[in-house]
Amino acid sequence: MDFIVKLAEGFINLFQTGADTFIDWMGSIVPLVLMLLIAMNTLIQLIGENRINKIAQKSAGNPLLRYMVLPFLGSFMLANPMLHSLGRFLPEKYKPSYFAAAGQFAHTSNGIFPHINPAELFIFLGIASGIQQLGLPMTDLAIRYLLVGLVMNFVGGWVTDFTTSYVEKQQKVKLSKKVNIEG
Amino acid sequence: MSKKVKIVKGSGGFGGPLVIGINGKKDKVMYVTGGHKPAIVDKICEITGASAVNGFETSVPEDEIMAAVIDCGGTLRCGIYPQKGIPTINIMATGKSGPLRQYITEEIYVSNVDVDQVSVAGEDEGAEQASETVQQASSEETEKKEKTESEATYSKDKKIMETRAEQENKSLLTKIGLGAGKVINTFYQASRDAVETMLHTVIPFMGFVALLIGIIQGSGIGDLFANIMSPLAGNIWGLMVIGFVCSLPFLSPLLGPGGVIGQVLGTLIGVEIGKGNIPPNLALPALFAINTQNAADFIPVGLGLAEAETKTIEVGVPSVLYSRFLNGVPRVFVAWLASFGLYK
Repeated sequence: MDFIVKLAEGFINLFQTGADTFIDWMGSIVPLVLMLLIAMNTLIQLIGENRINKIAQKSAGNPLLRYMVLPFLGSFMLANPMLHSLGRFLPEKYKPSYFAAAGQFAHTSNGIFPHINPAELFIFLGIASGIQQLGLPMTDLAIRYLLVGLVMNFVGGWVTDFTTSYVEKQQKVKLSKKVNIEG
Repeated sequence: MSKKVKIVKGSGGFGGPLVIGINGKKDKVMYVTGGHKPAIVDKICEITGASAVNGFETSVPEDEIMAAVIDCGGTLRCGIYPQKGIPTINIMATGKSGPLRQYITEEIYVSNVDVDQVSVAGEDEGAEQASETVQQASSEETEKKEKTESEATYSKDKKIMETRAEQENKSLLTKIGLGAGKVINTFYQASRDAVETMLHTVIPFMGFVALLIGIIQGSGIGDLFANIMSPLAGNIWGLMVIGFVCSLPFLSPLLGPGGVIGQVLGTLIGVEIGKGNIPPNLALPALFAINTQNAADFIPVGLGLAEAETKTIEVGVPSVLYSRFLNGVPRVFVAWLASFGLYK
């Protein structure tokens, strides 16, 4: 009989631990993220999409603008997935590279600005909740995540320029380096 | 050979039944499933005579797509094709979720579909067609209804603003009032959007992860994981191995969907950090290590959003996979260098 009781207790304990974790998050992370989401959504609405589109058009020429400034601002302003739409202002040749950089900016900035990619927040939050459990501030981690991302995502976009050239040769096609905007 | 195919939802799925067939130029079934071809694609093609196209390797003009087959866990793709008006078949059991969830409706989307859910549409095609047109009509109607409704709610609070805004000689007070009204409305709408996102996207995932943590910590599995994870995630070399594996070009598109694998790995490592088995400064390189496959499954769709040509997508997919591979391990290493002094 004792055995069965132990077994049942152990079984319930699985869910109790989960429930404690859940309600802990509901009390700490959820309100914080919600407030940030509201503030960011408002800011984005007030600034407007047109301004960021203008920046995109001017960023085509320079790799630093193209793979660092544009995807960073784009992820902040348009969030995932619409940030990828900014690629339409770039020449065909650079679209894969922009995607490579932008896809990563949708994560590295997510620690501080969760509105960018709330659906995949737990990549950051999963690890950061361990930090929180130790009583250490999550912000330190989030800021370093963003800064390392800023540099390495740029490198990622830039390296993709070369892999694109390589695949071009492999497939024997040439992608245009000229901007072609329709409509 | 232009029969119609009927697709119903699987158990726990959402939406449908869809009845689709070749219609003019629309004769292609596009599957965007990280490269492998689900069996239902063959079956749909067999019944309808449509041709299958791997959306991961090439792109198809939107007006030639009869239906899209996806394997989205609920973050993005499940909304993108419905948004474009393309009938969408998800092989996962995802319902209305993700940032584009408002486009996912019963009329255009069906999920958790396997071979058994695909069948030839009823003998009397006429009736089926009729029902389809009825369905379309009804969907149009509901759309219209929604539109008029949203317009109606819009015009309710807009009319006053509009009439005021149309007045030529606005007093300062009116101007302030209009401005404040606009800002407050924006805040309110932003709040509605944010609450929706939390309810439909973040909290469900939180529940899933919390249960996972409960099972890991409450049972003995936690110690087992600690034994496996600590040597792997507890030092920089192990993290680089994780990063390397996740970035392998043939694996990364399969690990990508929904970021679910990355999020589960993150949670596991987080638990170990919380218990003190992994030093906290390694959290930074770990963030990069578990996510070297980032967006690898999403390349064709992302390039599609950038209005890339078919040629660009064909070049872009392998190119980005290669660059993810080249970057993966260095990213982890640089993050490790940047983690010195963190939480010391």
